[in-house]
Order: sequence, then C-alpha cells, then structure tokens
Amino acid sequence: MSKRRIKSRMLHSFLHDPSAIVGFVILVLFIAAASLAPLITPQNPYDLETLTLEHFLTPPIWMEAGQAPYLLGTDDQGRGIFSTIIYGCRTSLFVGFSVVLIAGTFGVIMGLLAGYYGGWIDAVTMRLADTLFSFSTTLLAFLFLGISGGGSILIVILAICIAGWVRYARTMRGSVLEVKENAYIMAAKSTGAGDFRLLVRHLLPNAIPPIFVVLAIDLAVVIMLEATLSFLGVGVPLTEPSLGMMISIGKNYIYAGMWWMIVFPGAALILLVIGINLFADWLREELNPKIQRKA
Amino acid sequence: MATYIARRLIQGIVVLLVASLLCFIVFRFMGDPVVTLAGRYATFDQMEEVRRSLGLDKPVYVQYFRFLGNVAQGNFGISYVTRVPALGLILERFPATFELATTAVILSFVFGVALGVLVALKPYAVRNRLIMAGSLGGISIPTFLMGILLIMVFAVYLGILPPFGRGETTQVGFWRTGFLNINGIRHLILPAMTLAMYQLAVLLRLTRAGMREVLTEEYIKTAWAKGLPPRKVIFKHALRNALIPVITITGLQFGELIAFSIITETIFQWPGMGNLLLTSIRENDQPVIVTYIMLAAVVIITMNIIVDILYAVINPKIRYE
Amino acid sequence: MKKTFYLLIVIAVAVMVFGSSGSVLAASSLVVAQDVAPRMMNPHGDDSDAGLQYMANFFDGLLQRKGPDGTLAPALAERWERLDQLTWKFYLRKGVKFHNGNPFTAADVKFSFERLSNPDVSEFINTGKSIAGVETLDDFTVVIKTKEPIPWFANNMHQVFIMDKESTESRDPGDVMVKPIGTGAYKLVEWVKGSYVRMEANADYWEGAAPLKTVEIRPVTEASTRFAALASGQVDIVTGVPVELFDKIVTNPKLDVVSRPARRSIFLALNNKPGSPTADMRVRKAMYMAINEDEIIEKVMRGHAAPAAQIPDPPTIGYNGNIQRLKYDPAEAKKLLKAAGYENGFEITLSGPNDRYVQDAKIAEAVAKYLAKVGIKTKLDVKPKSIFFPEVTEGKLDFYLIGWFDGTFDMGRTYFKLAHTRDQESGHGVFNGAAFSDPDIDKLLQSTADIVNPQERGKVLQQLNKMAMVDKIAWIPLHYQEDLYAIQKGKGINFKPRPDRWMVYKEISK
Repeated sequence: MSKRRIKSRMLHSFLHDPSAIVGFVILVLFIAAASLAPLITPQNPYDLETLTLEHFLTPPIWMEAGQAPYLLGTDDQGRGIFSTIIYGCRTSLFVGFSVVLIAGTFGVIMGLLAGYYGGWIDAVTMRLADTLFSFSTTLLAFLFLGISGGGSILIVILAICIAGWVRYARTMRGSVLEVKENAYIMAAKSTGAGDFRLLVRHLLPNAIPPIFVVLAIDLAVVIMLEATLSFLGVGVPLTEPSLGMMISIGKNYIYAGMWWMIVFPGAALILLVIGINLFADWLREELNPKIQRKA
Repeated sequence: MATYIARRLIQGIVVLLVASLLCFIVFRFMGDPVVTLAGRYATFDQMEEVRRSLGLDKPVYVQYFRFLGNVAQGNFGISYVTRVPALGLILERFPATFELATTAVILSFVFGVALGVLVALKPYAVRNRLIMAGSLGGISIPTFLMGILLIMVFAVYLGILPPFGRGETTQVGFWRTGFLNINGIRHLILPAMTLAMYQLAVLLRLTRAGMREVLTEEYIKTAWAKGLPPRKVIFKHALRNALIPVITITGLQFGELIAFSIITETIFQWPGMGNLLLTSIRENDQPVIVTYIMLAAVVIITMNIIVDILYAVINPKIRYE
Repeated sequence: MKKTFYLLIVIAVAVMVFGSSGSVLAASSLVVAQDVAPRMMNPHGDDSDAGLQYMANFFDGLLQRKGPDGTLAPALAERWERLDQLTWKFYLRKGVKFHNGNPFTAADVKFSFERLSNPDVSEFINTGKSIAGVETLDDFTVVIKTKEPIPWFANNMHQVFIMDKESTESRDPGDVMVKPIGTGAYKLVEWVKGSYVRMEANADYWEGAAPLKTVEIRPVTEASTRFAALASGQVDIVTGVPVELFDKIVTNPKLDVVSRPARRSIFLALNNKPGSPTADMRVRKAMYMAINEDEIIEKVMRGHAAPAAQIPDPPTIGYNGNIQRLKYDPAEAKKLLKAAGYENGFEITLSGPNDRYVQDAKIAEAVAKYLAKVGIKTKLDVKPKSIFFPEVTEGKLDFYLIGWFDGTFDMGRTYFKLAHTRDQESGHGVFNGAAFSDPDIDKLLQSTADIVNPQERGKVLQQLNKMAMVDKIAWIPLHYQEDLYAIQKGKGINFKPRPDRWMVYKEISK
C-alpha cells in the first residue's frame, strides 16, 4: 500500500476514534500550557527574587481563606499551586521528550545495527539490553541518582537513559529482522547499494513504524518516572519545579487538612499521562496487524 | 540445556562483579563515612586512625579485592550505621518485603487475569468500559501517587485502615509474619493494593489483548465448530496461549517489582528491605548498599534463568544450545 | 466463579470493619512515637543524642543530667573530685547490679572507658583517645587521667555509659549490638527493628523502680505519620512534632502540646578567605541584615523558634546576654554592598543538610531568597547530612547552614571545633567547614584551655563570644529551635521535656 494511502487511512481512523482525539488534544494542551508558562501564570514560582513567604499554605481561591491571585492555593514557601503545576509540567515534558529523543535515537541505532549485521554485534547488544531490562529502568535510575546524589535535570535524564534505550533497540531489531528479507530490500541490495545507504534510506523507514508506539508509551512512562524520582527526593533538584516534588511536600500536610497540594498536581500528572496513553492505545491498535478491524 | 544454564550463571556472575565494582567507584565520590564513624568531636588525626583501622585509606582496587575475598567467604561487611553484618541486617527484613511483594503479585495476577478474561469474553458494554477505564487509570497513576491517594482516602478521611507500619507480627521460628493476626493483615491491605495496582492494570490489558488475539485464531473457531463446550476451549487453549507473554513479563519484571516495593515501603514505612535501602543511601551506609544491590542482582538473574527454563518447558519449540 | 468473587469481597470488607482496634495500647503503660529509631543497643556506638537517649534508659553513666533543667547529678558515681589539671577521681556507688545480676564495680568502669577508643565498636573516639589512663584504686574508686587538661571532662560523663565487662567480653559482638545489659532503670523486653522497642522497669534499680512499668517506643520517622498515630489514639506521646501540624494539635480537644525552647541554635557560617567577597566585614554585615529572621521564624518555623544573637544558649558558660541581633534592613544592606564594591552583588553557593534540623532545607531556601533580593545570587546545595557533614569537615565550603548544641554546657569545646582555624596537628576546627580563620579569636580561645574554674571561664568565654559575634561576625546567627511534643490529654501523663531532647522514661509518670 502506498504511503499516502496509509497516511490517509490512519487519519480517517484517528478522526473517528473519540478517545484518540481526546488523548491527543490533552497532550497538545499540556504542551501549549507548558510552553506559554510565563504568559499564563501570575508568577514564576521558582524565581527566588519574586518569591515571598507572604501568602503561604493558603487554600484554593473558592475556599474561605483563599487569596487572589493564587487560584489553586499555595504551598509552604508561598508558591502558587497553579503556577507550580504549569512549570512542573514543563519539567516533566522536557525530561520526557529529552529521554525519548536521546534514548530513542540511541536505541534505534543499536537495534538497526544489531538486526542488520547480526553476529557478535547482535549478541553483545542484546545481552546488554537483556541485563539492563531485567533490572528495569526504574531501579537503575533510582540507584544511580540515589548513590551519586543527582544534582541537575540533565543527570536525571541521563539516569533514565541508562536502561531507557532498551525497548527501542529490541523493537527496532525485531522490526529490522522482519523487514530485512522483503523483496524491496533485497532488490536494493542487489543493485550494489552500500551498507550505510541501505540502512538509512531503505531499512530505517520500513522498520520504524512500531517505534512510534514505543515512543508514545515511553513518553508516559518517563514522565511518571521523573515524578516518582522527584517525589523520593533523588530527581530534579529542589530549585527546579516538579510535580513529584510538589506532591512530596504536600504529603506532609494531608493530616493538617491541606489537600490541595496533592490533589491538584496529582490530577494534572494523571491527566497528562492518561492523555498520552489514550493516544498511544490508538496508535498501537492502528499499527498492530494481528487484530481484525471492523471494516 | 545444562551448558546453557552454566553460561547464564557465568554471565550472572559477571553482572554481579560489574555492579559491585561500579558501586565502589561511585562511593569514592560520595560523602566520607569516616566523619560520622569517628564521632562529632574527633580530631583530624583521630579520623585518620579510624580510616586506617577500617581499611578505607587504601586505593579503590585494593578495597574492592578485599571485599571480593570477604564475599567469597560469606562476609559482606559490617554496616556503618548499626555495626552488625550487612547481610544479616538485610535478610532480617526479608520476611516483611516478601509478604508484601507476594501478596501484591498474587493480587495483581489473580484480579488482573480474571478481569482481563472477563472483559475479553463477555462484552457487556457498560461494565467493560468501566473496567477498561479503570485499567487506564491504573497505568496512568504512578505507584507513589496511588499510595498517597489511598492513604488520604482510607486512613485520613475515612479512618478505617492504618496508614503505616506492619502492626502486630508473630515470630514463627526465624520468620516474622504479619499473617497470623488481624492487625497485621489490616496493615498489609493498603501497601499491597498500592504495589499491586499498576501491575494489575498492565496484566488486565495484556490478558485482554492476548485473549482477543487468540480468540480470533482459526483453531479456536474449529474447536467451537466441533462442538467443544466453550469453557473448555477457553481455558485449555486461549488462556494458556494468552498467558505466555503474561508469565514472561511478570517473571522478567522483577527489577520493577523491587523498585516499586522500595517506593511502597517508603510511603507506608513498611520495615522491609527497600525501606532499609533508602535509609542506607541517606546515611551513606556503603556496605549495606553494596550488599543490597548484589542481592537484588542475584534475585533478578535467578528469576530470569527460571523464566527461561519455564518458557522452554511450556513451549517445546524453543531449544537452547 | 462470580459468586466466590463477591463472597471474597464481602469477607474483605468484614475484615476491614471488624479489625478496628487491634492496638496493643492496653498492654503497655505508655506508648510513644519517637522521631528517630535506635541504631543499635551498644551504648558507645552512636554519639548522636538521638541514639544516646535510648541508651540512657538501659544504662547509667558515672553521672547523669536530671530533667527538666539538665543539672549534673551523681549516678553510678556518688561523688567526684578534680585532683589536678589532668586527674579526676570518682567514688562509685555500692550495691548496684547489672540486669544480668553481675555486681557493678570499678573494673566495669575501666573496661567501658577503654572501649571508647576502639573504632569497631565506638564513635566516642575523641573522648577515648583523650584519656591517658584509668586506674582502679579499689573496687569502688576510679581515677581517670587525661592527656591534656579538659575543663569540661566531668560535664561529659552523662554521655559515657558503663557496660558490664564480663558479659560484653563473653558474648558474641553481634549480640552486644542488639541486647543491652546495663544498670539502667529499664530492661529490654523486645526490639523488633523498624517496628518497636518494648521495655520494662528494672525492679532493682538503685534509684528505685521507675513509675511506668512497661514502655513501648515506636520509631516513626515520617512526621505526618507520627501525628496520625497520635490523632488516632494509637500512641500516648509523640516527639518531634512538625511545626506545620502544631495548629492542628492545639485545636484538637483530645491532644495537648508540650514545648520548650531547644538548646540547639541554627546559624550560617561564612568563609573569610582573602579575596572572597565575604572576607569584607561590610559584606558580612550586609548579608546579616538582608535576612528577615522574624519572617523566617513566623512563616518557616511557624512561630516555633526564638531569634538568636549567638551560638550558645543562656545556661551555657560563655553565653553573653549583651549581644544583640543586627536589625533586618535590606536597604542598608544594599548600601553596605555598594560601599564594598559589590553594587551588582555577587554569586555564592549556600550548602546545608535537608534531613537534620527542623525545616533546614526550607530555611536555606528562604535565606537564598532574601539574599537574592539584595542582589546576591545564591545557589542552593542541600543534601543528606551523611554527605553534607563530611563536606563540612573537609573545610571547602563557602557558605552553609548548620546547627549546634554542646551537651557539656561549655562554649569552649564548641568554639574549638567551630571557630578555631583548621589545624591538622592539634585537631582543632574540624567542623569549621568554611575555613574561617581569625588569629585574635584563636589566641583568646587557646588561653581558655587551661582555665578550669567555671566563673573565670565564663568571663573569658563571654569576651570571646562578643568578639566573634559583634566584631568579627564569625557567623550569622538565626534562631534557637523549639522542641515540640504532643500528648494525649486526660490520661494523666506527667511529662516534662529535657533540654537535650532525650526521652528518659524514668522521669515520666502517669
């Protein structure tokens, strides 16, 4: 089937699947909000010069002790919850996309090479991937950050990438193995195309579709992981906004009846991840040939 | 087969060596444990003496080889914080973690698979949508948030379940269990639910997808056509085939289980191995950290080998040279 | 299949509803949720107050400090004398028995003190190594000689606990770490690590059996969880109440708050290396004046702190009531900075622990904020104390937050560790993390080393204190913490907090 027809069929299916649209819209909204952060928030809660302890621990604006302009209340340092959520989403999305980009690129390259060349490249890569996978991204990132002390967003990204590339490599390799033998590739090879050209111009585009599903799911997973690491105190440093960190602060106040520091950031995090998952679900159904679709 | 296992074991040992070596190297850049060990009022010279007596003044590789030598004799070092053997300290907490993790795994497996089968087989619109929506929530709520929300609802607002600790436990031989009294079981409920939720949702979706795939296969339809009762068909063929990826994933996700149990134990102050790891990292108790990592590695590698063997047993088409 | 499913759900709900109480409150006379867990039952292995307080129940020292004032009183020694600059004589109490029946004699004292310098089992290395020898004149008289004059030696004797020589030597070292055998008011019944410590009163205690027969301590490190335990009636007393939950307790009719000013003061240390901005007195003054301590006390500490103008607290020898805080004046601070040539401010890193003092990380954040407002761009570097304190001893920090209180009630000891120029040979300045160095302070401090008379010490130390805080601004003092506890009302709990924050159960009654 020609690429154009595939694309238009996908678009058609997308437009008729309400959950996919909802998911996509949610994701776009979050990205937009995060990018426009300085414009839509009353303050940058992490700019030390503008921060005051003036209104701290105030509840959301519709409650009695609520204070404008703090729509959703403030935390114990006087930071507006709404502002912190928007800036926190910025961190989450930044970490998410960075990991997906770095780990994804590295994983795709490794998978491509392993699948194409086979032999010892394949054996070593897959052994390493298996080992890292069985320890799980979460555990490795946590151990690395916990023991080394972390210290910056970049180190957090790197820590997640330690094992983050494995899914991409595995999927790519499997896809390459399937596609390797098809007629189109064999034809290109027989015309004397060099390895590099073959890999990049022919194998890559044909083997890559399953990676998009991995990408989408991974984005959600990494965002949750960043929140978890920040919650435990080994993620993003104190001075950077993070949804996980906000929830960690809020946890100390639930017994005092101050629920807004957990509920709002928590809801934002869950909503963002659900949005990505909805979209990922649709993507997986689209690209999975095994399940018979209704005509 | 035997050579395959031997090879895997050797690979496992390599992993252990690499992991422990990495630890030693990273420790160099962490805080100096001698400061706390020598006490607040020690002078520089006294600190150096303590450093020498603990062998911490030697270069990294010397310390590392001494460590390996000790490990070969079963000595994993003495905890800096509690001055007792690190291995014993960790294993002491094994029953707590084991009971929590096993309960969670059983919960997630039983309910995840059962609900997954239910949703795949009996397509009753409203109920299915609810369950699937629930599963979407389950994979979108990180474990720590689930734990906190459960605490907020059941412990703070409703006040019917305890929010921390293991409660009353009874000592049976060398095993300290919480199963033998109501108080212990009540303390287990929230942590187990927290730990189980994510996996439950994942297994639910996986089972449903697997069942749907298999149910459309030709041989199922043939069996139906032959008149075999549906229940038999389902359980003998569909479920068994759908379960293969489920089992592989559960078995291979031990690293995840360990990581999430650390998180759960921290939130609920559950006195298990994961909780100990977190406090050891904070206190810079290096012997305990290294020992824990090696133990975790051993468990994960063993589980991998077991899963591989089971997989070969279930699916005779696989052969290992 | 369906039916069993629903049945299981019904059973589960029943378990939740019926297993309502299940606490062992009835079994123990008192249940306490403490904020720190014991690391081991070896009384020399942990020199932190958090650990020593547990030991104070199972063991006795030669002397003790009696709450609620912390006055030094006899314990296993009935009286003591200082024979000369280096020699201390203790007359031991007769007829005291260890928990295992062994009689207490001078041999146990000698054994305990000699054990202090063994790094495998002791963190009291400094105390151990500063002793030249322990002589037992007879079964109930001990003479201890120190290598150098230590004016505060006796003041420290409440922290050195006496162990039973015979059983400590004959037992497996692992057993010594988990089973305490002392002469103390309580015997250990059970220690389930991470869950609880149960103890019962020693009926043969030399001071008379303690009023509370059985005590259960539940270490709960999470502050909000401690509060939950109290609010749900599971525990009688809670230590280390977090400041943010204070209001909740005050408004709860079933709970009572008990508080007392802490001895610990929190302050900021600055380096004064030539060439760095903080070497200029004007800059130091500016930074002092830029910080709105009243707001920190009000907002970050929620009112539970008292402003400090110096490091020692009132009962300490060396406390000088004439020292005042500099006023909060950011405009003046900016002027001073401009005069010093830093009109556009400068950059500095503020280090500190995030798990040691009340609201430590939050205080650091607030300080950074105030400094930013006068143009000093402050980078925050907070980390766990296990990494932070070693950095302090390395002396490479520029600017950090720290707290201190000295159990000996003598400022001299503190200053040798904090203020004196770092000196490998003499061992001074180990906790002088910013390598602050001032020859005048060093000289005056060294002159106090030989003065043993408390009045004379007081005079010189007060002078030194004033020099350090007013003339040199060696540190920027912030506040004294407040120790907050909460108890169940209506149970007749008679609890008066000690100045050192120790929970000594023989002093509590119901």
